Amino acid sequence: MVKKILLLLLIWSLLLAPATADTSSIQPYLDRVQERIKEFSLDNGMKFIVLEDHQAPLISFVTYADVGSVDEPEGKTGVAHFLEHLAFKGTQHIGTTNYRKEKPVLKSLDRLFDKIQAAKAAGKPQNLAKLERKFNQKLAQASKYVQQNQFGRIVETAGGVNLNAATSTDYTIYFYSFPANKLELWMSLESERFLEPVFREFYQEKDVILEERQLRTDNSPIGKMIEEFLNTAFTTHPYKRPTIGYEEDIRKLTREDIKQFFATYYVPSNLTIAIVGDVDPTEVEKLAEIYFGRYSKKPAPPKITIIEPPQQETKEITLQLPTQPWYLEGYHRPNLNHPDNPVYQIISRILSDGRTSRLYQSLVEEKQIALNAQGFSGFPGDKYPNLVVFYALTAPGHTVEEIRAALDTEIERLKTELVTDQELERVKTQARADLLRTLNSNIGMARLLTEYQAKTGNWRNLFKELDRLSFVSAQDIQRVAQNTFVPQNSTIGRLLPN
Amino acid sequence: MTKNKNLKTLSSISVLCISLVIILFFHHPAVAQTPHHYTELEFPPLREIELPEYQRYQLNNGMVVYLMPDRELPLVSGTAIIRTGSRLEPPEKVGLAELVGTVMRSGGTQQHPPEELNQILEQRAATIETAITTSSGSASFNALSQDLNTIIPLFAQILRFPAFPTDKLELAKTQIRGTIARRNDDPQDIANREFQKLIYGHHSPYARTVENDSLDNISPEDIVHFYQKYFHPQQIILGIVGDFESSQIKQLIQEAFGDWAPGDTISDSIPTARQQHQSGIFFINQPQLTQSNILLGHLGDKLNNPDYPALTVINGILNGFGGRLFNQLRSRQGLAYSVYGVWSPRYDYPGIFIAGGQTRSDTTVAFIQSLLTEIEKLRTTPISEQELAYGKESILNSFVFNFQQPSQSLSRLMRYDYYNYPPNFLYQYQQGVKATTIEDVQRVAQEYLQRDRLLTLVVGNRQEIQPPLSKLSPEVQTIDISISQPQNN
Repeated sequence: MVKKILLLLLIWSLLLAPATADTSSIQPYLDRVQERIKEFSLDNGMKFIVLEDHQAPLISFVTYADVGSVDEPEGKTGVAHFLEHLAFKGTQHIGTTNYRKEKPVLKSLDRLFDKIQAAKAAGKPQNLAKLERKFNQKLAQASKYVQQNQFGRIVETAGGVNLNAATSTDYTIYFYSFPANKLELWMSLESERFLEPVFREFYQEKDVILEERQLRTDNSPIGKMIEEFLNTAFTTHPYKRPTIGYEEDIRKLTREDIKQFFATYYVPSNLTIAIVGDVDPTEVEKLAEIYFGRYSKKPAPPKITIIEPPQQETKEITLQLPTQPWYLEGYHRPNLNHPDNPVYQIISRILSDGRTSRLYQSLVEEKQIALNAQGFSGFPGDKYPNLVVFYALTAPGHTVEEIRAALDTEIERLKTELVTDQELERVKTQARADLLRTLNSNIGMARLLTEYQAKTGNWRNLFKELDRLSFVSAQDIQRVAQNTFVPQNSTIGRLLPN
Repeated sequence: MTKNKNLKTLSSISVLCISLVIILFFHHPAVAQTPHHYTELEFPPLREIELPEYQRYQLNNGMVVYLMPDRELPLVSGTAIIRTGSRLEPPEKVGLAELVGTVMRSGGTQQHPPEELNQILEQRAATIETAITTSSGSASFNALSQDLNTIIPLFAQILRFPAFPTDKLELAKTQIRGTIARRNDDPQDIANREFQKLIYGHHSPYARTVENDSLDNISPEDIVHFYQKYFHPQQIILGIVGDFESSQIKQLIQEAFGDWAPGDTISDSIPTARQQHQSGIFFINQPQLTQSNILLGHLGDKLNNPDYPALTVINGILNGFGGRLFNQLRSRQGLAYSVYGVWSPRYDYPGIFIAGGQTRSDTTVAFIQSLLTEIEKLRTTPISEQELAYGKESILNSFVFNFQQPSQSLSRLMRYDYYNYPPNFLYQYQQGVKATTIEDVQRVAQEYLQRDRLLTLVVGNRQEIQPPLSKLSPEVQTIDISISQPQNN
């Protein structure tokens, strides 16, 4: 009994204590990490960031190409992602039994493909059949020279894990991790990969990518919805288009398209590499000079100048598909480097992070109209002005219109009432703790460092952003909410059962 | 190779210098001056992996405790594994264990209503979560080390004094009803769920699904009874890793859990599993699809099967970026974006062998045939030395990734403890992989990948699958997946 009373007293005192967000214990760790980060650039403009972490004999590598689907020419959507797939197909020395003999076969395949396209356009079915026969013969011939997925095999045999890549609207990243004694192997493989890539098995890979599109978009109700939602929310900026590409564009892509896109965007000054783990930065720099110094300096790629004009009125898109309902609501916001970026981050956290977040409390717990309700910022990317998006899944027996009303109540509250100090403290502490927890992941840190370097011009902004967050006030939130969450800036998406 | 050459050149300068050179060599390895193709590289040995120091002890009430200090960051995390599981719930109350796992946390404790609990935790960027899955229960926390004095008592409260309020139970039921209503929205979900049912049987605790009817059968008393039956200190293994002083945390643990009286000994036996259908092709019609989801496989075995190492070598040969399935079905035939075939064992009941992927409707039959061809090839044709090396070395060279974080080592030790596996099981496995031969691979392929026991499931569009599935077998059984409506709605 005494114990119970003591316990109660303890709890009481906990509650009386101010909701201190004492994050002073975190800062020294974040400072120390920054001191362990070294950076250097090669003469050709390629940038390296190295974070030493000797906890385990492991190294994670991220190659960040500052190119994504936004950079694709009109009518060639999907080329950035297609290139990412083909970057696993090897080089003149990897993935082939004889490149000298393979090369002309690949050329003639490309010529036949062009002829087939021309015959299709001209509507000559007889020519077509003959050409397709020839094409298939050449395809079989080309396959004889291929050492399939040799690049991946080398990496995995050497103990590499998590080998993969990802393409987004804003960037393309390639990553994996090795045991710490394979640093030079990574240097050799990764530098050769982008020095003399051979985009072999192009036509088979096109089928693979079409299957990927089917999987992610055409056979997924929410996948379709997102494609239509972005197409509605943006009128002009390439954020409008799907990263995987439109099916008709993917079908028409040629190997020449890939080569051109590669030549334009995979220039050294457009590449950033992060190496995190059990390494010696001096050795990394020496090896980087030797291996990546082979790339010759090239002109910087063109930048996107298209600007999405301000939205004038509410837009709506409704899809009816065999699925339970989803509700989406998006608002345009400025890019990552805008001074209000931290304010948007805080808004997302207050509305969406954890059991104490406003959307969870209101829509899920109190009203019980949603199974899940969240908002996030930076969709579909954040290098350019983008969207804050809210979404919710209806609970059984409830409608998307109920969701819309409840969501609007929460959004109105942001505009009319100041958020509490307690909420503000909470999300600021959480942001700090989140970064601290990410320090446990080599690959996570490597990704963040490259992304901040490429998008903001300096990896230190990853840490400085926490300071910026700490200055955000309740008034800032109200101001940004009042400017952003207005009807003429919104896009409503409804995914309804048919 | 280059490194050795450099070392030799340097060492000839002076005998006296040798020791110095060797030290330099280890600290700052000499570096190649010209780029080398990967075939020309040699690698220094990897430094020894050290298992982080830990201690295991037991409280007087039977609770097992593991402590693994890790002072790298000011964070502490902990997990309690509770000997329970949804496989132990009565068949007419499927969903009971899941609800206990959810409401234990969402409903708060006898001392703290949920809103207050959430506030205390999230204000400190801390989390406590609980769940019950098929074969175990878990409660875990993650906190800044400065908050340990607050978090450990709360963690203990959730395990010892959950309030299970009716309103949170109802909310959790509503959430599950919503999930039931949505479970046919994604074709991959349909395929995975129904495939388990085909293998283990509709009513097996390893495949059954929660239904609206079974939810209606679950009362607040059922929740409390299930909790009271399984949540006792002698049923729990607690592990804590992170930034703490062992003596201090031991005291906190003693204060939080020491006076928890041990409960009755439980004598539940672990349900066994056997394959439901002996073979056959099953189909679920989804006319909106343009792509088929395909799964095929059969019942497998436990993790402690002595042939498990050889079977993972087969997993390696079939899968990954240079695996046979990736090479053939994806890169050569362009049939699929995702394709796999894995021997997937469980700790204390038979797992499954499962292969599959997605392909456009008109290549459904071709995909299945190619998959079967690859499985058959493993059985009939010995693999090459090169493939054996790929399968083995990719496991052995990446072995160090089992020790990325102390928390990874701790959770492995706890899992072995929970399922009664030897603590060095991972090393036994490593030895088993090292010893695997070409003959072993073929022998286990023949013994464990059984063509005549394979069940095939296709979720797709009947009209568009041309050639039709009847090309594979005259008898294709159709499965109905419509959802029975809740009675009380």
